[in-house]
Amino acid sequence: MKAVNALWAGCIGLSLIAAPAAAAEMGDTAEPIKLAVLEWTGAHISTHVAGQLLEKLGYKVEYVTAGNFPQFSGLADGTLSASVEIWLNNVGDIYPKVLEAGQIQNIGLLGLQTREGWIYPKFMEEVCPGLPDWAAMEKPECIQALMTPETAPNARFLDYPADWGSRAATILADNDMPYTAVPAGSEGALVAELESSAAAKTPLMMMFWAPHYALAETEVGWVTMPPCKEDNNEHCITPPDVAKVVWSGFEEKWPAAYTFLREFQLGADDQQQMMLKVDKNGEDLDAVAADWISGNEGVWKPWIEAAGE
Amino acid sequence: MLPLSGWINAVADAVVPVVQPYFRAVSTALSVPMQAIRQALIWLPWPAAALMICAAAAGAGGVRLVAVAAAAVVYVLLADYWIEAMNTLALVILAVPLSVAAGFAIGVMAWRWPQLGPVVTAALDLMQTVPAFAYLIPLLLLFGFGPVVGLIASAIYAIPPMVRNVMLGLERVPSEVTEAGLMAGCNPRQSFWHVTLPTALPQLLVGVNQTTMAALSMVIVAAIIGGFQDIGWEVLSSMRKAEFGQSILSGLVIALMAILADRITRGFADREAGGAGGRLAGRTIMVMFAVSLGLGFLLRFFLAGGALMPGGDVTRQYVTVLNQWVLALVQDHAALFAAIKNGVLYAFLLPLRIGVSGAATPYLWGFVMTPGLIALYGVVCAALAGWAFVSGRWRLAVFVIMAGTLLFTGLQAFPWPVFVLGLALMAYQSMGWKMAVFVAAGTCLILANGLWAALVQSLYLCVVAVLLSGLIGAALGLWAASSDRVSAAVRPVCDALQTMPQFVFLIPALMFFKVGEFTALIAIVLYAVVPPIRYVEHGLRHVDAGVMEAVTQIGTTPWQRLWHVRLPLALPVIMLGVNQTIMAALSMLAIAALVGTRDLGQQVYVALGKADAGMGLVAGLSIAFIAIVSDRLIHAWIGSGFAPEDGAGSLDGGRG
Repeated sequence: MKAVNALWAGCIGLSLIAAPAAAAEMGDTAEPIKLAVLEWTGAHISTHVAGQLLEKLGYKVEYVTAGNFPQFSGLADGTLSASVEIWLNNVGDIYPKVLEAGQIQNIGLLGLQTREGWIYPKFMEEVCPGLPDWAAMEKPECIQALMTPETAPNARFLDYPADWGSRAATILADNDMPYTAVPAGSEGALVAELESSAAAKTPLMMMFWAPHYALAETEVGWVTMPPCKEDNNEHCITPPDVAKVVWSGFEEKWPAAYTFLREFQLGADDQQQMMLKVDKNGEDLDAVAADWISGNEGVWKPWIEAAGE
Repeated sequence: MLPLSGWINAVADAVVPVVQPYFRAVSTALSVPMQAIRQALIWLPWPAAALMICAAAAGAGGVRLVAVAAAAVVYVLLADYWIEAMNTLALVILAVPLSVAAGFAIGVMAWRWPQLGPVVTAALDLMQTVPAFAYLIPLLLLFGFGPVVGLIASAIYAIPPMVRNVMLGLERVPSEVTEAGLMAGCNPRQSFWHVTLPTALPQLLVGVNQTTMAALSMVIVAAIIGGFQDIGWEVLSSMRKAEFGQSILSGLVIALMAILADRITRGFADREAGGAGGRLAGRTIMVMFAVSLGLGFLLRFFLAGGALMPGGDVTRQYVTVLNQWVLALVQDHAALFAAIKNGVLYAFLLPLRIGVSGAATPYLWGFVMTPGLIALYGVVCAALAGWAFVSGRWRLAVFVIMAGTLLFTGLQAFPWPVFVLGLALMAYQSMGWKMAVFVAAGTCLILANGLWAALVQSLYLCVVAVLLSGLIGAALGLWAASSDRVSAAVRPVCDALQTMPQFVFLIPALMFFKVGEFTALIAIVLYAVVPPIRYVEHGLRHVDAGVMEAVTQIGTTPWQRLWHVRLPLALPVIMLGVNQTIMAALSMLAIAALVGTRDLGQQVYVALGKADAGMGLVAGLSIAFIAIVSDRLIHAWIGSGFAPEDGAGSLDGGRG
C-alpha cells in the first residue's frame, strides 16, 4: 500500500510540475458536487469524509443515494459527479462499458486495505479441528456437520450471490472438495446467516470480505486457502481493489476538487472504527466523519494543500 | 439456444442512442415538478402537513380514520423518517395523477374503439406481470439516473388498474341512461362528459384507489435505482445489513402510508357513490387546508426548522431490542427451526423437485428404489390409469399418467415434451386451439432461450407456495367468516402483509431457516396467503341471505350448510382468490431471488446486476407468460358468465 501511495504522490508531483496553473483553479463552486452514497455503511463513511473535506475546500456538496450498479449510469452522464468507494470486484458489466466509452474516469485507489476469502464463525474451530488450514474442511466430521438435505452427500458452502460470480465453486472443484456452493442471493442473506450461525452455533462456511461491519460484531476465522490451480481471478482469490471514480467532465468543472479527490485516501482501520461507531453505537454519521477530520488534520492537510496550490 | 436476449440488446444498442435525447427531455421535464413537490413537502413543517392529512381523513371517513391518520403521523415522527416519508409522498403524488390521466385516456380509447381491446388487454397484462426489475435497466438507459426512473416504473405498474376500471365503468353504463341523454338533445361530446362519465364515476374512483395502491407498492423498486433519499432506500439498506428491527421500522412507514392512502381514496370514492353522511364537507376541507398552509408559514417564519423535529433516539432502543429478540429466538430454538425445515423439505419439497427416484437415496430417505420397487410403482400407476380409462374418464387417465411420471422424475427431470404437450392439451380443452398454440409457442420460446431449468424451478416454487398459502389462507378465511372478532383481528395483519415491502419478511426467514428454497417459500407464502384469506371470507360472508335462510329452515346442520351450500355458492369468488394467490406468488419470485433461489426471478436479478437489458426482459416475459396462462386457465374454468365482484378485471391487485 505504501508503494502505491508513493507512486500516487509521484504522479501528483509530476502533474503539478506539468500544469501548475490548472491546479489552483476552483472551477464552478456554485454548483454542488454530487457524491454517490452507496448502500453500505463503509461507503457512507468514505463519502461523508470526502464530502466534508470538499466543503472545507470551498465547494458545495450534495449526497445522492445510488444503487451500486445504477450509479454508473448516473456517473456516465454527470447526474452523479463522483463515487469514492467502488469495489472493482463487484462492478458488473456496465463499469467496463462506460469506462471504455470514456464517460467515467478511474482516478486511483482509495487505499482501503481489503481482504476476501473463506470465513467461519470462531466456534467452527471445535467442529472442524485443524482450522484455519483448508485441509481441515475435508475431514469427515467437518463434512458431516456442514451437510444439509439440499446438498447431501456434500457439505454446504455459502457462496456470493449469483450475480457476483462464483469463484468459490471453481476453487472447491479445483481441489475436489466435497462441498456444494449455494449462492446467497444478497449481501443481507450473507450477513443474516453469519449472525444467526454465530448466535445458534450452527455450522457455517462462507465466502466473505473485509472491511465489513458484520465482522466488527461477529468473531470469525479466515481459512488459509489451498494453493491456486491457475494464477488468475477465476481460480484464485486476491484482495479486491477499491477505486475512486469521477464523471468524465469532473476535472474541467472542478479542477481543485479533482486534484483533491485523487489524493484522498481512507484506510481500513480508520473506516472500521467509524463503522462501529455508526452501526453499533448509533452515533450520527456526520458527527463521526467530522470527528475523524478534526483528529487527523495531519493526514488530510497535504491533500487540501495539493488542491489549493 | 436462441440468443433472443442478445438480439434485444443489439436492437437496444442501435435504437437507444437515437431516441435517448427525447426520453432525456421527458426526464428533465418530469424532474421539475418532482423537485418542486419534494421541496414543498420538505419545507412544510410537520404540524401543518399533519393537519392536512387529518383533514383529508376527516373528509373521507369518520373519527376513526382521523385517529388512524394521526397515529400514522406520530409513528413516522417517532421513527424519525419524516423527510424520507415526504420524499416518498412526492413520488406518489406525482405518479398517481400521471397514471390516472394516462389510464383514463387509454381506457376511453379502448372503449370508443373496441377493436383496440385485445391489444390493450395484452399490454395491460404484461405491464402488471413482468417484474419491474426486468425493465429497470432499459428505463435507466433511456431516462438516465435519478428518481424519474422510479416515477416511470411506478406509472407503468399503476396505469393498468385505472384502464381496466375505466373500461368496465364505461361498459356498464346502462343504455337507457345514454338514450335519455340523446333524447334530451345532447351532442356526442356532451353525452360523454355529462351523461356517460358521471354515471361511470364510482367505478372510475375504484380505479383511482387501486392505482394509488399500485404506485405505492412500487416505491421500493424506485429505491433500487436511488437518486433521492426516500423510505424505500431505508428499507433496502436495512435489508442489506440484515437488520430486522430497522427494516420493520421503515417498512411500517410504507405500510401505514398505503393503508392510509387506501382508506382515504376509498372513502372519497364511497362519498361520490352516495355513501353515508357525517363527513366533513368539501368546503370545510379546503378551509382546513388553507389554515394548515397558514400554520406552515407561521411556523417556518417564527421557529427554526430543526427544532420542530423530535429525535429518533427512543425508537432506536426498541429496534435494538427487536434485533436481539430475533437473535435470541434463533439461538434458543435452532433445533426446532431445523426440524420444521427438514420435515417440509424431506416430505414435501424434495419429492416434488427431484422426485421419488431422486429422493430415495441412503442420505435422504434411507432406502434405494430397486428395479422391483420401480416396476411396482409403474404397475400401480398403469393400473390406476387403465381403470380410469375403462370407466370412461380419459382425462383422469391422462392426469394419472402425468402425475405418476411427475412424482417419479420430479419437476426438475420431467421430460419437457410431455410437459409442453400436457399444458397445450389443457389449454385446448378449456379455451380452444388459439390458447393451445400460444401456450406451446411460449414454452418453446422459453426452452429455446435456455431458461427451462429456471422456469421449472419457478413453477415448482410457485406450485408449492400456492398450495401452502391456499391451505393456510382458506383455513383462516373460514375462521374469519364465522367470527367477527377473528375477522377484525385478521384484517390489519392482512393489510400489513400486503403493503409492507416484501423485503422485510426475508430477514427473519433467513435467520431462522438459512439461505435456500425453504426460506424463499416462507417469504412467498407470507405474501401470497393474503388473497385466499380475503376471498374465502368475502365469498362465504356474501352468500345470498335468502338461500341461507331457506336451507336453515329445512333443518341442515352448520357443517352441511358450509359444505353443501356456502362453499359451492362462494366457489367463483374463491377461484378468483386462487388466481390472485398465483399472481402474488409470481410477483414474489423476483424478490425471493434475494435469498438465493435458482428461478426466473434470480435470472431477472442477475440481469439487473449485469445491466443486461435483453436477458432481464426475456426472463421477465417468461414470468409474465406463466402468470397470463394460469390467469386464463382459471378464468376459463370459472366460466365466462361470471364477472368479478369488484369488477376490475382479472389482474388487479387483490385488495378486497
